[in-house]
Formats: sequence, C-alpha cells, structure tokens
Amino acid sequence: MVELTKTGIDGLDEILNGGIVRNSTTLVSGNPGAGKSVLGLQYIYNGVEMFDEKGIYLSFEEDEEDLREAAESIGFENWQDHVDEGAIKIYDKQVLLRENDFSASLELLLDDLDGEEYQRLVLDSLTMFQLFFDNEREQRTYLLKFTDILSENNLTTLMTNEQGAIFPETEIGLENFLTDGNIFLLQTPTDSGVNRYVWVAKMRKQNIDTDIFPMEISQGGITVHENASAFSMMNEDDAPL
Amino acid sequence: MSSVDLLQTLGNKYSAEILDATDEPRSAQELSDELEIPIATCYRRIDELTEHDLLELHDNILSDDRRRIKVYRRNVDAVRVEFDEELTVDIEQRSEVTNRLDEAWRTLSEG
Repeated sequence: MVELTKTGIDGLDEILNGGIVRNSTTLVSGNPGAGKSVLGLQYIYNGVEMFDEKGIYLSFEEDEEDLREAAESIGFENWQDHVDEGAIKIYDKQVLLRENDFSASLELLLDDLDGEEYQRLVLDSLTMFQLFFDNEREQRTYLLKFTDILSENNLTTLMTNEQGAIFPETEIGLENFLTDGNIFLLQTPTDSGVNRYVWVAKMRKQNIDTDIFPMEISQGGITVHENASAFSMMNEDDAPL
Repeated sequence: MSSVDLLQTLGNKYSAEILDATDEPRSAQELSDELEIPIATCYRRIDELTEHDLLELHDNILSDDRRRIKVYRRNVDAVRVEFDEELTVDIEQRSEVTNRLDEAWRTLSEG
C-alpha cells in the first residue's frame, strides 16, 4: 500500500485518489496568477493545521512579509503563529539570495532536512532554482539529485514551475519527466473574471483521475469541484505524460 | 603563482586528463589505473594541480580494507587564456551550489 500525504485541499485529494505519494516530488505548473503559490501555501498550512506535519517553504519570489500577507489574505490566520513557533520554516528570497550566496543557504537547508523534523516542503519556484546551474544537463542532474535528497529525508515536496499550459499543444518541459507527479493549474479569462482549472496529469504509483476539474480561490484557499467536470479535453490515453 | 606557471602545470603530460577525470572524486590509484599513468607521476601531477587550486582534496574515504584513501576532485569548470592586454589566465571555479548538492547526495548513497 502506497503511503499518501494529504493536501487537505477540498476536492484535490479526491482527484489524487487520496493524496500525494509520500516522499515524492510533484511539479505544480502554470502561468503567473494561476494559483501555484496559493497551492503551496495551503499545502504547508494544512500540513500543520490538519495533520500535525511541519513544513519548509522556500521562496525565491517573495520575502517573509509577502508570504504572511498572501497567507492571511486567503484566511490562513495562524500562518505567522506557526512560523514563529517553528512549525513552518521559511527561507525567503532575502535569505536565499543573500549576498548572492545561495550555496550558504543550501547548506542550512540541507542541515534542516537532515534532522527529519519536517515532512513537507515547497520550492517556489523551480524556475529560479534552475538559474543556479550552467546548462540544461546540469539542471537535470541536480534536480534529480535534489529530489533524491528530499525523498531520502522523508519530505513530500511541491515545486512550482512557470510554465503555461495551453492545450493541446502543451510544451512539456523536461522537468515534467523528472518529477514523480505533475499538476497543471490553468486559467481562462471570462467576462466576470477568470475560470480556473486543475489538471493532474501524472502521479507515479497512483491511479488518478486525469480529467480537468474546475477550481476556485477564495477565503480558505483553493477548492476543487470534483463533480462538476466542466469539460474534458483529454482522456487518459491522450495524456502526453 | 604566475599565469605562465599555471599554463606550464596545465600543459604537463596527463594534467588535462586528470582534470577531465575528476568530475567525481577519484583516488590517485584510480586515476593511475584508469588513465594508465605511472603512479609516481600521478602523485606528482596531483600535487602540482592541487598547489594551483585546480584540483582539491575532497575527502579521506575509508577503503574496503579500512585504510584511509585521499580522493581528489577538480576545482575548475573552465580555464580561459587571454593575450589581449597582457597574458591572463582566468579560472572558472566550479559552482559551490553543485558542490554542496553533490556532497549531500553522495552522503545519501553511502548511508
């Protein structure tokens, strides 16, 4: 029986057939504004609130204050308390990019992982992480090594990825093949705002529902509506992953 | 150490091969076997390259028969020589980020 880590996000765990495979790395791809960071925040927050699991949030994009505001704006009121108590450990962009010395932060992070105190990790974003490597071959090698390190330290990881998903001509980046799972967040403009969708394209070792489901971001974070599959552009056989 | 010295060291027989092979940590014996370098020469080249910071002592690992073995890793990714103004030799150091990840990953596979 595969052990699962629940995201605690309404509707998403159901699509995932229970949750994310424990100690795996899942890539969350989408355009800016598609909800990748919200998904990351919620995954870490729910871990503490619902499952008593500690989390690490690595952000190259924002500082601690931005994250706090983002979390509180969608109703994660206890975010800062958890940060202060150490249940959520933040490496924000100021820490990660301090004096341009990512290697020193990496050392701290690797020490933290070693203690096996944490169960969840979010890397926002993989796109930025990959800038520390010189070429594509290095990027791939070190993504694999990094995911190995995370997995061996019993961390279940989400990595965000700036990648537009335009169906059906999706350009699939190599990183999609190197990770255990792939979740795409999509948004389409409408008269009144945007329609949002989530597509779980791949989850190793799990039998998942690969339809596209509508989702909402509101107070309380993301909700996925699993019964209202508005459209299905692809069936399992056509999925490119 | 002057640029000319550095070029001299790089130009010595087997130096380039040793740097090429030490992407991952290697012992003198392994390098000697793989590259068919006489062992005494191999030690001499390792000393020269280490002196110039082109190679570094990476670790003392424990061999199967419980002896300590020194393993070396190259410290450079690229060397660029310019003759424009005056002779300069630029050494592009290996990225620290990759070093740390390599190290952490290696610890895993040993554990």
